[in-house]
Amino acid sequence: MNNIALGRYIPFDSVVNRMDPRAKIMIMLFLMIAIFVPAGIWGYILIAAFIILALKLSKLSLGFALRSVKPMIFMMVILLVINILVIKTGVPWLQIGWFSVYSDAVYQTLYIVVRLMLMIIITTILTATTKPLDLTLGIEKLLHPFEKVGLPAHIIAMMISIALRFIPTLIEETQRIMNAQASRGVDLENGSLKEKVMAVLSLIVPLFVSAFDRADQLANAMEARGYDPQKPRTRYKVLSMHSIDYIGLILSVLILVCCISIQVLGLA
Amino acid sequence: MDAVNIKDLVFSYDEQHDTIKGISFVIPKGSYTTIIGHNGSGKSTIAKLMIGLLEAKSGTIEILGQKLDESTVYSIRDHVGIVFQNPDNQFIGSTVADDIAFGLENHCVPQEKMQAIIEESAAKVNMINYLDSEPTKLSGGQKQRVAIAGILAIEPEIIIFDESTSMLDPQGKKSINEQIKKLHEKKNVTIISITHDMEEVAQSEHVIVLKDGKVAMSGKPMEIFDKEEALHEMKLDIPFALKFSKELKKEGIFDKNECTLEGVVEALCQLKQMN
Repeated sequence: MNNIALGRYIPFDSVVNRMDPRAKIMIMLFLMIAIFVPAGIWGYILIAAFIILALKLSKLSLGFALRSVKPMIFMMVILLVINILVIKTGVPWLQIGWFSVYSDAVYQTLYIVVRLMLMIIITTILTATTKPLDLTLGIEKLLHPFEKVGLPAHIIAMMISIALRFIPTLIEETQRIMNAQASRGVDLENGSLKEKVMAVLSLIVPLFVSAFDRADQLANAMEARGYDPQKPRTRYKVLSMHSIDYIGLILSVLILVCCISIQVLGLA
Repeated sequence: MDAVNIKDLVFSYDEQHDTIKGISFVIPKGSYTTIIGHNGSGKSTIAKLMIGLLEAKSGTIEILGQKLDESTVYSIRDHVGIVFQNPDNQFIGSTVADDIAFGLENHCVPQEKMQAIIEESAAKVNMINYLDSEPTKLSGGQKQRVAIAGILAIEPEIIIFDESTSMLDPQGKKSINEQIKKLHEKKNVTIISITHDMEEVAQSEHVIVLKDGKVAMSGKPMEIFDKEEALHEMKLDIPFALKFSKELKKEGIFDKNECTLEGVVEALCQLKQMN
């Protein structure tokens, strides 16, 4: 459980860690859009190159990035199976009785898998190099213009920051409940599907009960310390953009522009 | 003007059974009061009522001369800090500095003043070297010290400890108790501590004993400990130091009882000098 990489902040002292969260969020958004532009292999190579650069600069290992994709492997396999069964175009690669595998099925799955992987890795780099509170502050500042139309940006930001703050705590809790239930004879690994579902239930129910209990106590603590969502607050952290932030932004916009031009010019 | 003045306070969680059944007490400014009682005696409920997290059915609560109601609850919270039981569930920031800053942000302290206040409060609880640490890297006692720092930062006149040491190991417990003692001696803050820990009761000035939502006894720690029978009935014990000194008195070694460890040590040292 402890090696879950998704959504966890890694306190390294790197260039990327020190970047302005607003810039990092915008870079992530630009890259996300770029991923969805069907720019073929060159587009993805560009994005992947940017990601590798970002990983280098943030002192994160490639292994760490790949680990973050691990939880998605199951979904990807299901996707592959469905695609193989449904997509029957392209070159037939394999034919055993009624069962056949066509090239398009594999290509399309690969296409989606690559997109998913890139997206997850980008998000992981963002969350691994940005403290939850900075991230929230960034989101809040970026959403600030929308407060005029009634969007409660600071409340959304506070909710996200608390959710992020409690991820490690809840993971620890899950581990503790798993151990407690295992010591009482609950087997989470073996048995039929029905037994497994029941075993997971014995994990989920206490986890939810404790999460609600925590939420209640946290709300009390916040209120007792004078938090009122309707009142103005000052901020401890002030954001400031530096040259590295502008360079990152320009690079990501360039990648986006490249991907769009590849698509528009039909080079893909 | 008293720090806390509670009159005929009644509260119930479910409208049917009253948890607090008409409590009245006064806590003078600058004093150190402990509130004890068995589980379900209503002691934690009292803490939540005092800072307006719960609303009383009847009766009044006056904090620093101000009657607690919907219109005053926020201004009262400016003067009252509370440290809760669970160290994890009151850690709001992602680092120690962020967490101390949370209260300052709520109280609209200007940004340029924050860093100095954060460092000063962290230093007071010996957490200055952990400003950038995350909560998962800290022990329970350290997290509670951060919670205290967060409260010291807003300089409240009253600090409530709601079973703040009950989830800590002996070492953490000791460090928090010392912190409370230091706060009481050096600063002019009123301390109200809801506790199970009889060693802590011994170091306080005044004790309020709750039983089934009512005040059963109140007085100086020694006066309360004298009623050992009544305490046992409420499933409460006397501190170990007092038990020890009572045995020594029985043997004729001590001529009076001591309820704190320091007191016992001092009396023993005097004995040694006399011989």
